[in-house]
Amino acid sequence: MSRRSDLARYLASRLALAPLMLWLIASLVFLLLRVAPGDPIDALLGTRAPEAARAALRAQLGLDRPLAEQYGRFLGHLLRGDLGQSLTNGEPVTRLIQDSLPASLELGVVALLLAAIVGLAVGFSGIARPEGRLDLAGRLYGIGTYALPPFWAAMVVQLVFAVWLGWLPVGGRFPATLMPPQGTGFYLLDSLRAGDWQQLGGSLRHLVLPASTLGLLLSGIFTNALRLNLRRALGSDYVEAARSRGLSERRVVLHHALPNALLPVLTITGITVASLIGGALLIEVTFSWPGIAFRLQEAIAQRDYPLVQGIVVVVAALVVLVSVLVDLVVALLDPRIRF
Amino acid sequence: MAACLATLLALPLLAACQPRRSSPSLIVATKSRIDSLDPVQASRIGVMQVLSGLGDPLYAIDSNGRLETRLATALPVLSDDGLRARIPLRQGVLFHDGTPFNADAMAFSLRRFMAIGTLGYQLGERVESVRVTAPYEIELALKRPFSPLPRLLSAIFLTPVSPTAYRRHRDKPLNDRFVGTGPYALAFFGGQQQRLTPWPRYWGKRPLNAGIDLVTLSNSTALFGALRSGEVDLLLNSGLEIDHQQALHRDAAAGRLREAIGPSQEIALVSLLSDQPPLNRPVLRQAVARSLDRATIVRRVTLGLRSPQRQLIPPDLPGSDPSAWPAYDPAKARILYRQAGYCQGKVLTLPLTYRSDIPTDRLFALTWQAQLRRDLADCVTLEVTGMEATTAYSQLDKGALTMLFYDWIGDYPDAENFLMPLLSCSKAEGDRCLKGNSVLGGSFWTAPGLEAELQRSSQLDGPERVSLLVAIQRRVAAANPYLPVWLSAPAAWGGLGVSQPRFDGSGRVRLGELRRLSAADGARVP
Repeated sequence: MSRRSDLARYLASRLALAPLMLWLIASLVFLLLRVAPGDPIDALLGTRAPEAARAALRAQLGLDRPLAEQYGRFLGHLLRGDLGQSLTNGEPVTRLIQDSLPASLELGVVALLLAAIVGLAVGFSGIARPEGRLDLAGRLYGIGTYALPPFWAAMVVQLVFAVWLGWLPVGGRFPATLMPPQGTGFYLLDSLRAGDWQQLGGSLRHLVLPASTLGLLLSGIFTNALRLNLRRALGSDYVEAARSRGLSERRVVLHHALPNALLPVLTITGITVASLIGGALLIEVTFSWPGIAFRLQEAIAQRDYPLVQGIVVVVAALVVLVSVLVDLVVALLDPRIRF
Repeated sequence: MAACLATLLALPLLAACQPRRSSPSLIVATKSRIDSLDPVQASRIGVMQVLSGLGDPLYAIDSNGRLETRLATALPVLSDDGLRARIPLRQGVLFHDGTPFNADAMAFSLRRFMAIGTLGYQLGERVESVRVTAPYEIELALKRPFSPLPRLLSAIFLTPVSPTAYRRHRDKPLNDRFVGTGPYALAFFGGQQQRLTPWPRYWGKRPLNAGIDLVTLSNSTALFGALRSGEVDLLLNSGLEIDHQQALHRDAAAGRLREAIGPSQEIALVSLLSDQPPLNRPVLRQAVARSLDRATIVRRVTLGLRSPQRQLIPPDLPGSDPSAWPAYDPAKARILYRQAGYCQGKVLTLPLTYRSDIPTDRLFALTWQAQLRRDLADCVTLEVTGMEATTAYSQLDKGALTMLFYDWIGDYPDAENFLMPLLSCSKAEGDRCLKGNSVLGGSFWTAPGLEAELQRSSQLDGPERVSLLVAIQRRVAAANPYLPVWLSAPAAWGGLGVSQPRFDGSGRVRLGELRRLSAADGARVP
């Protein structure tokens, strides 16, 4: 009972602190963007426009107002859930995020599933014979995939499977000749709901290379985490005790060591999910995947202040939410956790 | 491991069950992301290319650089004082929403552009007001006589839009729709993908293809790979890295691809901060001008795909003077550096800033640095610094950059659009510009009477204008506030299954002329 109330208090404090954290992040981004060199007017007009036109555009976009006033308006709108309008095309920032975030999440979820399946399988495969060939190969795989530069790996994959072999598209999220599915923005889900197999096939084909690349790069983390934790668990007293009771090695590993070894992996999964919400920039850029990270990069280059602020605030809010959820799941699974 | 192998094995299966490209439409790829198709938002090359298929301007420049009428039926009729221009409009033209194009629609579009257009100043600086004088005639009241008016009106961002469709967007952009009069109608709009389908009630020549699918790929490797793998039919060179362009150029030369080169509209140049030491000394600017080995640099940096340029006006335009700027002459440069007190144990250090987000800019800076080390190491050395483009632009008019390497793209093909934006000065003290485009361009240079000459050049026409433009260029070249370096031309590459692409005089691919070739066609056309 006491543990449950501790957990509830912990969650309440985390959720109560979330708005403060978001305010700090939003304010920091607002200030950093203004302090950073560069001007949205230059990004929009280059060096070409005369001073009068630049001044007119500055006034039109509200950038001629005092910084305090701009900040006050930004916070006021934020409190009402209004993230403002993009300086580049005047579209509501919320809509632009709605367009890009599902793409990143779809890529992230599929990549994470792949990473977990491949990573855990490789991590687990060497456990029968520690320091054996399979274990060594798993260790090398874990280090290798973790150490590979993402842009290089992505380009190699792109060149081999898309350009040389021509099996899969080089980039984009959907075939140019088809109409993208309408709905949630998650193309796989929308195609399935619509029962349109051509759309589903098109979405899958475009997803394979970026998701596989990202998944394989992330899988090394899972491989190493599982391998190390499983070895530690197999050397612990409770496993020895289980063995001494005459339990089969299979039962010892699957029922005693593995569940305990997976708990830290769950925390790592949470951190990985949180990092993927913000998108995988290098993968998105290489594969022309129109995700949130790609959008953020463009917004920064164009000094599109409202869009950058909006993306950062939304991503930060989702990261906070995911980290709270992960804490909750870990606490529910592991009775040893105290708050 | 097993899952990894299974994934790899699954790839061919996925590929095998993919639908073959059966769409009759053509796929055109570019790097430019398109956030809006409203002409009032248009300022980037990619958007202009799409708009050229969706809309019609009043006038157009043909492949030979000649002006032709489109939605206008004749050239503007000017009043005696040159301050009013009457333009007769084509009848029987329909917008994509079925409403008729007329003088009201044209006036609506021009007024809207002047009020909220990103490039609204291009029209607003010259046009006082737009008036409807007849159902199919408008009158532009000009602020001063302006001879390149038809060329300005050939800019695709001045294409008319349907007042009915844009009624609620009179004072704000309509990003994801376009309702104009062009040969194609917009069937789908996404940031990364647009679909253009032929407009069956188009007044002019119908497109030869069944439609165009425009796709955006975010990097040069993806673009290059997409054409090589046959995933796209046509590739535009905007955003393609130079080695990829060279590979495509070689493929085209070997007959494996089709290549089209458009008219040059982009000039790469170095601005020289002329009102502060050390480059406030004309002798040093002259020395720097003679220290630039354009031929070597262009060959090394652009692999010969761009052409060395010694003038500010592209060679296809009236007023061009190909040898206006001094040629590379290290011996003469050394004499000038000596006159300025260098080369005798004293080396001039010049800071050159380049845009770090553009690969060729960095190569230019490093190559010029190496060339100077080779030729004039005892007189001058370059200190090169990379700076993100947006940051560099914001520093330029503050006089913070002694030399910046950047480029200039004209919004419409006329000499005026290459001189005024770099040289115009509204407030000056002697040779020092205090306010105006010369400040924004980073040179801060002007000369007594130059502004009047620039203004006069945009009022004259014919040979008189050409000789004035040549005189202006020579005057500027003698002072060297800018160093033109090279000239870039738009290019496009297509597979052999597509007809030969062609550019119009404004540097846009003529989308309507593209068509998919049958095997027999392919055999006839190399």
